[in-house]
Amino acid sequence: MHTTSWHSVSMTLDECIKCNICTSYCPVAAVTDKFPGPKYAGPQAQRFRESGQITSPDVWVDYCSACRVCNEVCPSGVKIAEINARAKAQIVHERGIPLRNWFFGRNEILGRIGNLAPQIANLGFHNPVSRLMAEKILGVARHAPIPHWSTEGNFRAWFARREKLRAEKKVAYFHGCSTNYYEPAVGKAAVAVLEHLGYEVVLPPQNCCALPMLNNGEFPAAEKLFRSNLKKLAPYVDRGLPIVGTSTSCVLVLREEATEMLDLENAQTQALKAGMWDISEWLRERLEQGELPTDFRELQMVVPYHVSCQARAHRMGRPGLDVLMLIPGLDVREGNAKCCGLAGTYGYKAEKYDIAMQVGEDAFRFVRAQGEGVRYVTADSEICRWQLEHGTQKLGRHPVEILAAAYGLYDLDRRQLLAEMK
Amino acid sequence: MLDLIVIGAGLSGMLAAHTAARAGARVAIVSKGLGALHWSAGTIDALGYFPDEKTPVSSPLAALPMLAPNHPYTLCDAPAAWREFAALTHACGLPYAGANADANLWLPSPAGAARPTWLAPRAQLAGDLARAEPMLIVGVRGMRDFFPELIAENLRKQNHAARAAFVPLEVITARHDSNSVQLAHALDDPARQLKLARELKKIVQRGERIGLPAILGLDNHPNAFQTLEAETGAAIFEIPTLPPSVPGIRLNDALRRELHRLGVRVDVNMDVRGFHADGARIAFVESETSGQPLKHRAEKFLLATGGILGGGIQSDPTGKTWEAVFDLPLTIAPNRGDWFRARFFDPAGHPIFRGGVAVNRVFQPVNAHGAPVYANLWAAGGVLAHADPILERSLEGVAIATGVAAGKFASQA
Ligand code: SF4
Ligand code: SF4
Repeated sequence: MHTTSWHSVSMTLDECIKCNICTSYCPVAAVTDKFPGPKYAGPQAQRFRESGQITSPDVWVDYCSACRVCNEVCPSGVKIAEINARAKAQIVHERGIPLRNWFFGRNEILGRIGNLAPQIANLGFHNPVSRLMAEKILGVARHAPIPHWSTEGNFRAWFARREKLRAEKKVAYFHGCSTNYYEPAVGKAAVAVLEHLGYEVVLPPQNCCALPMLNNGEFPAAEKLFRSNLKKLAPYVDRGLPIVGTSTSCVLVLREEATEMLDLENAQTQALKAGMWDISEWLRERLEQGELPTDFRELQMVVPYHVSCQARAHRMGRPGLDVLMLIPGLDVREGNAKCCGLAGTYGYKAEKYDIAMQVGEDAFRFVRAQGEGVRYVTADSEICRWQLEHGTQKLGRHPVEILAAAYGLYDLDRRQLLAEMK
Repeated sequence: MLDLIVIGAGLSGMLAAHTAARAGARVAIVSKGLGALHWSAGTIDALGYFPDEKTPVSSPLAALPMLAPNHPYTLCDAPAAWREFAALTHACGLPYAGANADANLWLPSPAGAARPTWLAPRAQLAGDLARAEPMLIVGVRGMRDFFPELIAENLRKQNHAARAAFVPLEVITARHDSNSVQLAHALDDPARQLKLARELKKIVQRGERIGLPAILGLDNHPNAFQTLEAETGAAIFEIPTLPPSVPGIRLNDALRRELHRLGVRVDVNMDVRGFHADGARIAFVESETSGQPLKHRAEKFLLATGGILGGGIQSDPTGKTWEAVFDLPLTIAPNRGDWFRARFFDPAGHPIFRGGVAVNRVFQPVNAHGAPVYANLWAAGGVLAHADPILERSLEGVAIATGVAAGKFASQA
């Protein structure tokens, strides 16, 4: 292979040829005048953010949702989304972080607190009065699809309780915060599928991947989280255990985004990059190696598949689709909407909620166009699934849940393992 | 397993994939970027000027036999490929046509200069400078990078009757700052099409044809164009804008839809940087990802990554040049001093732009002895040697002719 042409983020700035293609594709600039678009926010405004300059002139960079569509279409490889993220970090550094964004950055702590008494937490937070108050006081959009805390205990507790498969072949699982606190069912389905392949699943200690902090410009705190994960995962990487993740955005942060934005590349980050997989990507690899069981049941249904912006940012094709297409009877329809709109914590912010819903309209329309009978939509990122549920009233499911159902291990409706259902 | 992987999603790659898929092959495209159509005026330039000459070509068909024997056009049936392309555009609802008789069409450029082209989308045809009707060039006040006064003045200098006028931005959009693509999206809305038509009707005089920036809709373009012609009673033509170019994007989208219909999967944002060959056969190519490189396997591969401007050929400041994916032999002089002529606008062009990958009669890349480098590799488009697409004004014509030819040979092999 040729040596990689990896440019540092700021170096790529000079490669901008001002073609405006990024602006033509930016889903946010398409719906609002508040954001002039990637070319202006990224390579253009960056010229005014030289070190030593006292204040950044462009608070509107905050309207960038970090969806990375611009990076994908730029013909010159300018890392626009990263430039924007750094600009946000500079603003936070200069002016401090709004309380709300501070909370969003700490969704793991929120997850943990809510998890102590999930019924009470759900009731306390998810009622119209508190949501209205949260909007007025904190600026958290009152209608945004903020997830409910799992009332069945967290994923790790479930994992610790159960009888595990012991086997030669082992795989480590990175569940991320959302699976642990909000959607343990995704983790259960993943474990069931991995064990069905004959792998023993091990659970490394882990913490939040730092995506919310990176998106909200809290770089020093994000670096702490990233380094902590790096340390916790290192023993597994060193032993050559593949680490698979069901949250495609966590995997992206750990493999690439954090290293790139925080300028941390070293041998250890490279080893993690090579040793970590999105679960569908890893399953597709098993398929290519002839190791994926094909004892599928027929699933007679149409499932719209929204390609999350984070999944696209991996540049790994559409492994979720490749794997789901093996299931007999299943008609998976791929959409081409650029972004669901929610993009991390973007659509949760009161001033951005409407923008996020307008951006999401393409994705919603695609889902609706697949017919009345559609019950589930699938996407690799939890954020997209929640937004699609919110925008279309369908049930959002991770591809691995559908796969688990096709292997006869999982009830898609109740989100439970058949083995655990009475 | 796929029969064919095409590397590159520009015009040549898409036509190669289309030709092979129509012949029954299972085809996929992997590409680093979206392809150069986003910069293109959307027209098909076949041959505007002879190499090493200033003389414009009046008929590409008559000029083809005069080209050097190694020019890509002489290796294939270019006119047949152009006809196939025209038929394809009709089938996908974005019909292209040329001048009557076998001559080049001359259309106004974004600066009001005359530019030769072979085929143009219907929405540009009424700009034909051979026609006599006076032109009303209409700009949108507040739109960047489109200057009707400049265009009209330059046209008058070339003895065409032309005058300039403006319509207000609010007719098209409520937003204050939009680029051409965003304006085109706004004009997908039938209500706005009508509003614009009413404004135009106020300013157009009898017998005039109306030239507008190329923003007349994207997804709903045919309807926008028809509405404007019907409501104003005047012939309408689009003048391409600076990038991003709406006519190029329309062509890109139409071809992508057609590929989708044929079951050709297109993956962009995949930078193919490596490959593995078992002897003379390429087993797979590898693209860069956020994790481990992704392997793409197929029976055959077709290289359509573009030339030195498109990224298919790379260079470094020391004067080293290499073909980006397979490191194929190039016809480029090793000495950087031989790449350029002294003057930037030298009429004879710069030798570097003629350099590239040499192919045999079935479009397989060959070495200095004329033997194929790999048994299962073909090439098309800007990466090929012995054409200077900029000087000759042959970019799209070469892309189509060689894309169709290479796609055909690859699927037959
Ligand atoms: S990351 Fe998304 S929202 Fe931000 S500038 Fe790029 S395309 Fe626009
Ligand atoms: S697409 Fe890339 S090169 Fe073009 S304006 Fe945007 S950043 Fe610059």
